[in-house]
Amino acid sequence: MPEESKDKREPPASRVMRTPRSLTIEITSRCNLRCRYCYFFNNPAMVYRDLPADEWLKFFDELGSLSVMKVTLAGGEPFIREDLPLLLEGIIRNRMRFSFLSNGTLIDDEIAAFIARTGRCEYVQVSVDGSCAEVHDSCRGKGSFDGAIRGIRTLQRHRIYVAVRVTIHRNNVHDLENIAHLLLGELGLPDFGTNSAGYMGTCRLNADDVLLNIQERKEAMATLLRLAEKYPNRISSQAGPLTDVRMWRRMEEARAQGKPDFYNGGRLTGCGCTSNKISVRADGVIVPCNMLAHIEFGRINQDSLAEIWQNSPALNQLRNRRTIPLTAFEFCDGCSYIPYCTGNCPGLAYTLTGKVDHPSPDACLRRFLDEGGTLP
Amino acid sequence: MNPTDRPLANPIVVLREEFDDWAVLFNPDTAEAVGTNPVGVAVWNRMDGKRSIENIVSEIQNSFEDTPDAAFKEIAAFVDTLAENGFVGLELESK
Repeated sequence: MPEESKDKREPPASRVMRTPRSLTIEITSRCNLRCRYCYFFNNPAMVYRDLPADEWLKFFDELGSLSVMKVTLAGGEPFIREDLPLLLEGIIRNRMRFSFLSNGTLIDDEIAAFIARTGRCEYVQVSVDGSCAEVHDSCRGKGSFDGAIRGIRTLQRHRIYVAVRVTIHRNNVHDLENIAHLLLGELGLPDFGTNSAGYMGTCRLNADDVLLNIQERKEAMATLLRLAEKYPNRISSQAGPLTDVRMWRRMEEARAQGKPDFYNGGRLTGCGCTSNKISVRADGVIVPCNMLAHIEFGRINQDSLAEIWQNSPALNQLRNRRTIPLTAFEFCDGCSYIPYCTGNCPGLAYTLTGKVDHPSPDACLRRFLDEGGTLP
Repeated sequence: MNPTDRPLANPIVVLREEFDDWAVLFNPDTAEAVGTNPVGVAVWNRMDGKRSIENIVSEIQNSFEDTPDAAFKEIAAFVDTLAENGFVGLELESK
């Protein structure tokens, strides 16, 4: 590649903010469900050990001193912790806001009222994967649908924002229309998000039964596009079929028309999380992301989060991932989509290839087309 | 706004200095945020309910080089915006 052209492809110098804006914290490794595509369980990096409340409270004090704005409480199932109000008080005392990632089944009036009173809750994300128990429970277990809907209605009664996430898999891909009707019509939610089961954790053990095949991906993309038109601005995604089809359509159009490279195209820019957030595992180990739980930076209350954020060689190596050109990978040899491709999620890249510094095969348009996929 | 008003920073508001030239004032109760530059940070750190706006402007002029003539007007407007959004209260001049 000529020098001039090479220079143009260099990313702008990235600056690291002094401290992370937000954290995702797995406050427990316990969960009352065993979903067939859970990314958390059966992840070899996970240590199933919960920390006592005082460890978390001490850490929240550190976050307060670093002016962190928000924490997302995850797990496991965060509502399984009996001392949850105590933890929330620590978050509030340190002038932060919070949100939850939950299956919804353990949310009762008492905890919902407590959350509402704080005025600091951004949202509670509840997983709903079917329009009825038969579909939802097929991967999440008997009774989980009724529990999730009960949890959503409880949150709604207390005027807490409910952010439903639908994880698309083989058993619910034909149910998306009904799911949209349930969530946006019957439950009256303003919107919901979608994703798809990814090759992580327990899902790796059930991949053949759970992961979408090419035909099902095509169906999911077409259905979601139709639903997004039917319900404008009410169906979102940050990954999964809806994100893929929107991105791939842009890439295909750009390639066909010979458009200039995308601003972030041609390099491993698919993940910007390391610029503003970081995660903590249930055992207190600081990691870049729940999807990259094997990369350990240190431990809460033993290592300085600010020091890790600013100076961890492993974290800075992840940040520099965005400088790696896709042309460096045999996987991308001869691909005409390179100027428009970001390599996508490093977490999926790792579970699928064993390498973090690799494009994710799951989000590869060329591979999708080669395997018989077509864009709706 | 009266030059003798004494602004008092809302203690719930978080000052987040993200980069050398950029900071965010964040109210966790409302989720509202206001971006600001180093002069704004210096103003924020002086809003203790004791200093008047004219005191603050004077200190800023002494601390920063090339402070524009319109400094009072700009700082007063900044404090006004913060007050409107509940980021500061004003200790009014004693009658």
